Amino acid sequence: MSDLALTARIGFAERARAVFDSTPGRILARIGILAALLAAWQYLPGPGMRFWASDPQSIVMALLGWIIDGTLWHQLFATLTVMSTSYALGCAIGVGLGLVFGLLPRLDKVMSPFIFAAYSLPKIALAPLLIILFGIGVLSKVVLVTLVVFFLVFSSTIDGVHNIDPDLPRALRLMGATRAEIIRKVLIPAALPWIFTSMRIAVRYAFSNTLLAELIASNSGIGYLIAYHSGIYDAAGTYAAVLILVILSVALTEVLTRIEKGMSRWRA
Amino acid sequence: MQRNSAAEAATPKIQLLGASRDFEARGRRVQALQPIDLSVKKAEFVALVGPSGCGKSTILNMVAGLLGPTQGRVAYDGQPIAGLNRKVGYMTQKDTLLPWRDVASNIGVALELKCRPMPRADAATKVAQMIELVGLKGFEHHYPSELSGGMRKRVALARTLIYEPETLLMDEPFAALDAQLRLVMLDQLQFLTRLRKMTVLFVTHDLGEAITLADRVVVMSARPGRIRAIRNVPIQRPLDVFKARFSPEFASLHEALWDELKDEVTKGTDL
Repeated sequence: MSDLALTARIGFAERARAVFDSTPGRILARIGILAALLAAWQYLPGPGMRFWASDPQSIVMALLGWIIDGTLWHQLFATLTVMSTSYALGCAIGVGLGLVFGLLPRLDKVMSPFIFAAYSLPKIALAPLLIILFGIGVLSKVVLVTLVVFFLVFSSTIDGVHNIDPDLPRALRLMGATRAEIIRKVLIPAALPWIFTSMRIAVRYAFSNTLLAELIASNSGIGYLIAYHSGIYDAAGTYAAVLILVILSVALTEVLTRIEKGMSRWRA
Repeated sequence: MQRNSAAEAATPKIQLLGASRDFEARGRRVQALQPIDLSVKKAEFVALVGPSGCGKSTILNMVAGLLGPTQGRVAYDGQPIAGLNRKVGYMTQKDTLLPWRDVASNIGVALELKCRPMPRADAATKVAQMIELVGLKGFEHHYPSELSGGMRKRVALARTLIYEPETLLMDEPFAALDAQLRLVMLDQLQFLTRLRKMTVLFVTHDLGEAITLADRVVVMSARPGRIRAIRNVPIQRPLDVFKARFSPEFASLHEALWDELKDEVTKGTDL
């Protein structure tokens, strides 16, 4: 099998794992490449380019400055707060309403055009509207990201309930199960893989939409840090903020991968 | 009181009166089952044999209340069946195990229901007995996706038998089992159904299985299904399932039933 085909076959999770368990040779090669890139970045650009390209040393200095004066923790905390609050809200409402709609097909049928329209709309387009309604503070961002997470989890939960093999609830009804027992013992467990899948995808959506919201208009967060420093033509600060983002998303992926590994046993 | 039980004995447990069933397939109406009459007494074991597509499963689905008859009547305890019939345990051809539960908790699921209150420890004991009975010891904590087809069938059987429904509907329950294990299961099924005086409607392709277990064997014709012959099994019960098939009565009944069945089987295949 060619390397390309092999790479295509490796899932996202395995690739994330490969970052962390490597042979010494691979680690050395990576360090070499990184050092070469950084050195090129540091010494190649002429004085004219420097203003736009910045250099690794200035970026590290900017980052250290933020660590020392507390800017980093403050902005990181702001981003993570919006993201996690919205994520929790969106998932909770999404699963709850999704189950209700899934279990009441008549309601679902009446409402589905509206839901589909709302689902299809890229929610980030609502950002300006939400800012008018709720200001540029935390609230508008939480509303936006909650909506993003909600629709994702909500529609997956409905799909999960609809995709149950009808023979399973029927078998339990023949055993004498009540409606509540069927919901608890069949419908919810059967929908769980769908719910978990959407919740996993929603983490990335929550992350990127929080940043987008912060970039559009905001007064806090990593996205704000990027927008602010690029606004004042501070290349080093902009790169430093992007670097924070890289570290944050790698950490997020790693955490997700670990959680997933522990959860999907019966589907083996 | 006595009159009541006398009436109960007279009323058939299961009764089909001119019951037929049509299906709609690609806009065409197909009769799967011609109007048939069939009564099953309480504690009687009736086997349905016939070629594929002769409506055997349709009969079971109607008795379970999953399907209504297109014409005629299907009654249980003298009452027309409305909605699902919860007096029956139905082991369908397809096993409907819950994929997220392991073997033990799939088998025990019926004992968790409110309609069968039972202390957890008692339920666990019954589950362990059932696992032993169907030969799945050591697989208690395997998930259905980790089992072979035959093992899944045994889980489905155990899950149905464990709550001792008064009537069992079984759709080729042992088709996926190897010959030895099948005999063991036939023996256990005979023992349990007689002990609990269960009424059984049993669909099979295997004439030997039908004669071994059933008080009466119903031979069905190829589609559209109708009853071609009903034979009593004149063998003394309970019988030894391991030896019965070598007795002369068994052989002659097998031959008589095969004579009825063989035309239908060829009719069924040259469609």
